[in-house]
Amino acid sequence: MDDQKRNMIVRLHEIFTMGSDLPDELDMESPDVKDFLDTLSEDRRIAFLTSAKDPDVRKMSVGFNRAFANYWERLCLAKEQGKKTVFIPFNCSPEIFYALDLMPLGVETLNTMGLNVEEGLHEYLDLAIERGLPDTMCSAQRGVVGMLEAGVLDMPDFLVNGALGGCDPNSKIFEYISQKFNIPAIYLDVPFYHDQRALDYYTVEYKKIVTALEEVSGNKLDEDRLREVCELSNEATELFMEIQELKRHVPNPVPNYYNTIHNATKLTMVGTSDAVDIFQKALDVSKERLKKGAHVLPEEKIRFMMMYTGLYFGGNIHLWLEEEMGATYLLDMLVSNDHNPIIDTSTMDTMLGGLAEGMLNLPMTRQLKGAWDMPANWLEDLLYYADTYKADCLVFTGHTACKQAWGIYRLVADEIKKQLGIPTLRLEGDGWDSRITSMAVIKEQISDFFETLQ
Amino acid sequence: MKPLAKLASISKTLKNEVVTDWINQGKKVVGYVCTYMPEEILLAADILPYRITGKGARDTSLADAYLTRVNCSFARCCLEQGFRGEYDFLEGSVWVNGCDHIRRCYDNWNAKIPRPFMYMLPVPHMFSPEGRQWYKEEVVKFKDAVEAHFNVNITSEKLSEACKIYNETRRLLRKLYDLRASDAPPFTGAEASIILSAGFVMPKTEYNRLLGSLLNEAEKKSKAPQEKVRLLMTGSLMDDSEFVENVEDMGAIVVTDALCFGARYFWDRVAENGDPFEALVDRYYTHVPCPRMAGEYPTRRDFILNQIERAQVKGVILQHIKFCDLHGTDNAMLKMDLEKKGIASIELEREYGPLGDAGRVRTRVQAFLEKIGG
Ligand code: SF4
Ligand code: SF4
Repeated sequence: MDDQKRNMIVRLHEIFTMGSDLPDELDMESPDVKDFLDTLSEDRRIAFLTSAKDPDVRKMSVGFNRAFANYWERLCLAKEQGKKTVFIPFNCSPEIFYALDLMPLGVETLNTMGLNVEEGLHEYLDLAIERGLPDTMCSAQRGVVGMLEAGVLDMPDFLVNGALGGCDPNSKIFEYISQKFNIPAIYLDVPFYHDQRALDYYTVEYKKIVTALEEVSGNKLDEDRLREVCELSNEATELFMEIQELKRHVPNPVPNYYNTIHNATKLTMVGTSDAVDIFQKALDVSKERLKKGAHVLPEEKIRFMMMYTGLYFGGNIHLWLEEEMGATYLLDMLVSNDHNPIIDTSTMDTMLGGLAEGMLNLPMTRQLKGAWDMPANWLEDLLYYADTYKADCLVFTGHTACKQAWGIYRLVADEIKKQLGIPTLRLEGDGWDSRITSMAVIKEQISDFFETLQ
Repeated sequence: MKPLAKLASISKTLKNEVVTDWINQGKKVVGYVCTYMPEEILLAADILPYRITGKGARDTSLADAYLTRVNCSFARCCLEQGFRGEYDFLEGSVWVNGCDHIRRCYDNWNAKIPRPFMYMLPVPHMFSPEGRQWYKEEVVKFKDAVEAHFNVNITSEKLSEACKIYNETRRLLRKLYDLRASDAPPFTGAEASIILSAGFVMPKTEYNRLLGSLLNEAEKKSKAPQEKVRLLMTGSLMDDSEFVENVEDMGAIVVTDALCFGARYFWDRVAENGDPFEALVDRYYTHVPCPRMAGEYPTRRDFILNQIERAQVKGVILQHIKFCDLHGTDNAMLKMDLEKKGIASIELEREYGPLGDAGRVRTRVQAFLEKIGG
């Protein structure tokens, strides 16, 4: 069968399984490794080779690949096992779905992971537009719409969107999928403010979602199971907070690559023991690196952070930044979870409250739902992150669809310069679609910018 | 001056003659952008609610430094006019988190060209009892802010009175749309657009008077049925009579719409029995939903299907301003549903005001009309 027409989740499962079957210590000349590399898209081959080169990164990626192989397998088996699947955006925490015995699939995560198997996902990005979606909608979800159109993805049982108010394209695409493919959608309204009143409102909304999910799935939320999930979520939170602490060191011992696995794990697996294992490994490796004085080689020349989204194609930007620029990629706003609360697991109510609070503090929902300079909004958080992690400069990747971020970039950048004296670079392009601005151009712009700082 | 000519003259300039008169009486004007802002609160405080648009902007060179090329040109034109001082006559403005673009327009406006009274009224993105409660609390806060800033007392009586005046506007506009829906519409879509535009930028009492006599005149005139293709227009913000004229020049007539600058603005009335404040909150929260209200697409679609039926529409113009994802996506969904019902439609991506490309629109509309037998 033409590979392009095969189910995307099945293909991801195959790739991650092959990847995770490889020995921890890689022999790059072995037939297994060569076979595996042949299955990858160009972008991901570069990414894999990159991670394989650095033994510390390899250690982190082994567990990550294994956990994801499991994850895709569970999705493959979901139908057979009578488990319902739910599509969610990146600002919808997965815990509640695990507690309800549902399988969550983050559309942005799938879109990004899909880049492993098919070069650029261009066919799907374009198909979504050909079939009606406006081309200004976000490519982070568009590939998935294209996959549904092409029939290489099974329809989920329902959709849950928790992004209303943070990003129009994000919420609107769920309404579109719901109408076009006739899939029930449940929405969670995000209030404009970030205070106790907003949290109370949001918590009520969150609880209603739980009730709605119970109704549509027929599964009842069990308090003990919820506690188990919340405890695993708390463990993951504590671990990634520790990793964040390590990032404060100058030079930073946490490899740039960590940011990628953090995001995928947080959005997909938090609430499972796999997520705990991944973060534990990342922490162990980073601590070890701190001990032995390992960091960006040969020296940490620049510490920078992405102001909002990262770049998800091109494979080796992390390594390039490390090796050729001597730059530490501290974080991007989408992996920034410093405000994630520890969930109080005493009662059903406190747990649901904690999960709701976690959701309200997820990237984007937290920073882009209100006015630019309100408490807990984009400016305040950027100031906090830049200051806490001692960034020398900031980069805005300029993902075209993020109109709500573009619309205040100038205000925010000016204010950061004023308050912290830190310069920013504004790129233009697309985080997922390499055809808009190529990685070569992006690298050139970043490199020119870094030069001005030295 | 005849009523239509008078309304046309009022709608042409931002600081028009009636606004000038109002200000000369020592009274304040406050701008707003969105149909989720309960105007009656302002009127009850003897303030003129004035709808901000980008009318008259010749380019967006100042605004583009803040709202960028990926932001909707309507929002950019509004900001441009603000930057150019064209809205300096406003005491302030009230904004709603309507869409990503307009709330960023507010951010920039508030940061760079604030007026004494700047206000954001956040509206939930869903219908729910909690959402309604949230919205009510916001309207209370807004009313309190108006009272405090302008040192006025908005009593129930004043609010009731304001609601009655607005309901009269709604009644008259409904009559306008009934006439447009008839076999022999007395107004073109472009004229209707002018009539509507004026209503947003002048006191409603005076508007009602002019509109009333305009409609009386129109009713008296007997008109022969027209041989034009009857169209409905929906989508992004549309206050551009020239755009409509451009479409109509090809042998069509726009007989109705589902625009927030048109039918969606006035279709629902405020209940006049019971507590006026509660009635006002209900009306504004639940009026024909904008695409910003999640999960409400079927309601909007049914509203459009209803309009199509009552105005004997033959084709639908689904226009959206580039980067307006709310309407662009709704239009894509509408296109599918209209097709299923055998109703012809065309999707047009456009730019607002000075950035528009009339030639391209004409070519596409012409082809569409030929296809559906215009
Ligand atoms: S915030 Fe930006 S990247 Fe995220 S969904 Fe919206 S448009 Fe896409
Ligand atoms: S036209 Fe669309 S993008 Fe522009 S302000 Fe209106 S809803 Fe927002």
